[in-house]
Amino acid sequence: MVNIMPGDHVTDCHVLVIGSGGAGCRAALEASQYGETVLLSRTLTGKGGCTVMAEGGYNAVLAEEDSTGLHFEDTMRGGAYLNDPELADILVTESPDRFRDLTAWGSVFDVEEDCVPAQRPFGGQRFNRTCYAGDRSGHEMIATLTEQIRNTGIRQMQETSAIDLLMDGRRVAGAVTLDGDGTLGVITADATILATGGGTRCYDISTNCAAGTGDGFALGYRAGATLIDMEMVQFHPTGAVYPPDSRGRLITEAVRGEGGVLKNSLGERFMERYDTERMELSTRDVVSRSIATEILEGRGSEHGGVYLDVTHLPAAEIERRLPIMLEQFLQFGVDIRIQPMEVAPTAHHLMGGLKINPDAATTLPGLYACGEVAGGIHGANRLGGNALADTQVFGKRAGEAAGKAPAITLQVDIDEVLATEAARCDAYCRGTTPPHEITRELKHAMWDNAGIFRTKAGLKEVEATVSRLQNLVPKAADRRMLNECCTVTNMLTVARLIIHGALLREESRGAHVRQDITQDWTPADSPFGHTVQSLFGTAIEERRGAA
Amino acid sequence: MNTITFTIERFDPETDPAPHTETYTVDINEGARVLDTLHAVREQCDPSLTYRYCCGSGQCGSCTVQVNGEPVLACMHEACDGMAVAPLNLPVERDLKVEMKSYLQDLTGITPGIFTGYLTVEANEAIRPIRDCIECLACVSECPAVAVTAFAGPTAMRQEMRIALDPRDDRDRASLTVDEGLFTCTTCQRCLEVCPKHIEIPGKAIEKLREIAHREGLTLPKHQTVADMVRATGRGVDRIMPTVLEQVPEVIEPVGKVRGEVGFFVGCMYNGRLPDTALKMLAVLRRNGIRVIIPPEQVCCGSPLIRTGQTEFIRELKRINIGCFTKRGIETVLTMCAGCGSTLKNDYDTPYRVIDINELMTEYGIEPPVSSSIPMTYHDPCHLRRGQGVTEEPRAILRMLTDDFREMPARCCGAGGGVRSGMAEVAADLGRDRREAIAETGAAAIVTSCPFCEFHIGEHSAVPVINITTLLFESYEKRDEESGEDSGWKDLPCREEE
Repeated sequence: MVNIMPGDHVTDCHVLVIGSGGAGCRAALEASQYGETVLLSRTLTGKGGCTVMAEGGYNAVLAEEDSTGLHFEDTMRGGAYLNDPELADILVTESPDRFRDLTAWGSVFDVEEDCVPAQRPFGGQRFNRTCYAGDRSGHEMIATLTEQIRNTGIRQMQETSAIDLLMDGRRVAGAVTLDGDGTLGVITADATILATGGGTRCYDISTNCAAGTGDGFALGYRAGATLIDMEMVQFHPTGAVYPPDSRGRLITEAVRGEGGVLKNSLGERFMERYDTERMELSTRDVVSRSIATEILEGRGSEHGGVYLDVTHLPAAEIERRLPIMLEQFLQFGVDIRIQPMEVAPTAHHLMGGLKINPDAATTLPGLYACGEVAGGIHGANRLGGNALADTQVFGKRAGEAAGKAPAITLQVDIDEVLATEAARCDAYCRGTTPPHEITRELKHAMWDNAGIFRTKAGLKEVEATVSRLQNLVPKAADRRMLNECCTVTNMLTVARLIIHGALLREESRGAHVRQDITQDWTPADSPFGHTVQSLFGTAIEERRGAA
Repeated sequence: MNTITFTIERFDPETDPAPHTETYTVDINEGARVLDTLHAVREQCDPSLTYRYCCGSGQCGSCTVQVNGEPVLACMHEACDGMAVAPLNLPVERDLKVEMKSYLQDLTGITPGIFTGYLTVEANEAIRPIRDCIECLACVSECPAVAVTAFAGPTAMRQEMRIALDPRDDRDRASLTVDEGLFTCTTCQRCLEVCPKHIEIPGKAIEKLREIAHREGLTLPKHQTVADMVRATGRGVDRIMPTVLEQVPEVIEPVGKVRGEVGFFVGCMYNGRLPDTALKMLAVLRRNGIRVIIPPEQVCCGSPLIRTGQTEFIRELKRINIGCFTKRGIETVLTMCAGCGSTLKNDYDTPYRVIDINELMTEYGIEPPVSSSIPMTYHDPCHLRRGQGVTEEPRAILRMLTDDFREMPARCCGAGGGVRSGMAEVAADLGRDRREAIAETGAAAIVTSCPFCEFHIGEHSAVPVINITTLLFESYEKRDEESGEDSGWKDLPCREEE
């Protein structure tokens, strides 16, 4: 039943980049300067991933009055000091240069006056440093990057998934692929970059695109890479709540950056009770918990959210600065110029991910990671606007390091690899359960017990659910569904990593809240460091010199 | 939960000789989008249904499909019972998934890619309106020129213009766009109509690229001839018969009570090529109580120049055409040419209101005509339907004229945008497409409301093309014949010799 690409089922290249969002595109552009580069994408290039749908902006220190030191402090404080300081420093230091790269390649970000980029305020930052293109900032970036990719010799393999990393002993040497027809293939590479993005689709309510299933985390984990802080799931404060199928759709932080206010059903601007100083522009973890608390305590809106209101802003300003929001809500019958939006938290971003060093190298030789699949940069909570910057800074670093990697001579039996994968696919063909039934149960269980508020008991419950689901074999009724079966398997792996991390971390910190634990330390003097998970064991790091 | 039944066009090139339609009934949530119903079909009916999607929020441009013949983003368009879902008019890979990769690969980007500073406000503002493209290819799938000739298509032109506007790019791309078919676009505005981001490709890309091409001496000779004629005579067509302006006085009083007053902008085609059609329209208004004022000094609106990028003396034309009505204190100006109407409404900033004849007749109401049972169809002139948003008014009038009105798909006939004069073979191909569409309706007459369409379809159609006001004229004539009455409405006063 499973096809193996006859004859030419092996593609060889110097650098393989898996994923064509902001990080993958940037990595491929950089790597292609060093040798033949393949950009593998399960969607059309640039159309997958969350970059294209990112709205708010890109943080870069551009103004003289701002400083990278300040940006660093904001990032660390926002991340509850769980960030790897070296990575955070690289992020803030190199972000302006990467913004200039985008500009050189043709990006059209808004300008304040002639030749001065416009920058808006975003949560948790003491300076207006979020560059933007209206509320389609990520789209602007992807448009720019894909235009550049078309100008290069980068080989695009589209609508084809990586279902496993290709291993040569402990070394990563490419990937096994599966296309939309269910045909297996192999890409061999001297260096492989995972740029597969995030994975909050394992939650019932999520901002992520269809590709946000966390495959890269699972591929890396299965190959033996180390992952850190997987429990750190950012719930974006403002997702749509209505109609039911649109729940979770991102309502950009730019709405609050432009002056939007949050109100409960009593008309109270409730952020006064949670963060008097920063109000709506507090960090995302704080705002999400505040909204969730208002809803839980019965002050929610008609459809189970709270109100986000921009009606006090001039209509022309809304039309110019938030055109996508305006248009999207109009499609659902709400005119945000005259009516408040209804919003509630939605699973948005995984701060954790593959452990990387400053070269974006993972713990496995030959494997690099950049963008959301990499961990450590954002600590326990990411600042809005730092993710788009992250894709460019670490995309470039990964591309450069991978590009400079030496050529390797492969010692792997491709036929054997393909036979193993074919057997896996055959098992799916004989599977028992429709994939959507598994994901549906997973999503609800994760939302209920591994969401904004967590307890050990709840986490144990969802762990049991995931274990049970992992014992089911997703069924491919058709060979074109094999990809979906692989994805479901990966989602379960990601869910398990999140749950395990959450059990390991017996404290509340950043986005991770353990209601069953009382603690007498602040994030800055927490006794804990990263949670660490790999095939070879799990642990939570103890911090030297902490309380 | 709601239950809906709808159809999907399915096609598996490996097994199916041709696409076929399947009907599905699924349970969906309230407010579900088309994409949600496709998911429901996969989960509840047939897991092999193939379609492309990703972001779910109208930003990635992956999921465009046709719903009831119109391209929409499946993730944003609300599903409804009875809808017909089909792939875009592009090569189908399977079911609703169409080939997009090769087209996207050919879209151009900035070179050389060296940082030289940020954009000025002016450059930013110029590029912004054509920068929102999500590359969904709805425009390409619906472009009539793409269908019949080697035209790179609307979004490729949009991208070329976006590059041309960018000071960071150091290439000259105008000549390239001419090779890519710049002059094959009829400016029918179908691309704008279907664009989920409302990008004005004809006005903000095609016509602007043509301006650049014009500055570089790349204007087509036939277009140059038209411009020369407008410059020399104020008219886009030469004089081969007595014109409307030569025949009518400055004011035509209606028979009976005056119900309204408009200025009349005649337009070159009705003035010099189809004067009888215009005179019949004037008689219809005369019968219906509308006083018409016709300033004799009016000139070409400039449409044939704007559409082809020859804009250097447009200001002068605008000055004359605005002045001649305002100095007579006219508040409403009537057009019966769809192209002139669209130009006055969209390219001018007029101190007076511009109204199309179909809008005028709807607004004031007309004496109901004698109805017939002749099967008739209506061709939407692009510059009326998309340029002015006038679609229902002529249909309502037509339904008074026949009890057998038949719709046909609204597609460009090929006459617009200078294509008829500059790219005759492209125009002819599109004209032949119309002939087939007309034949399919089985109508005995095709009614329209644009001189270019009347002329062009007339050359290609097997059935007669009639202006909607001519049809009214004939209907009133018939009533008079039957009743033996004649108020003298047809006897337009003659222009007094000076």
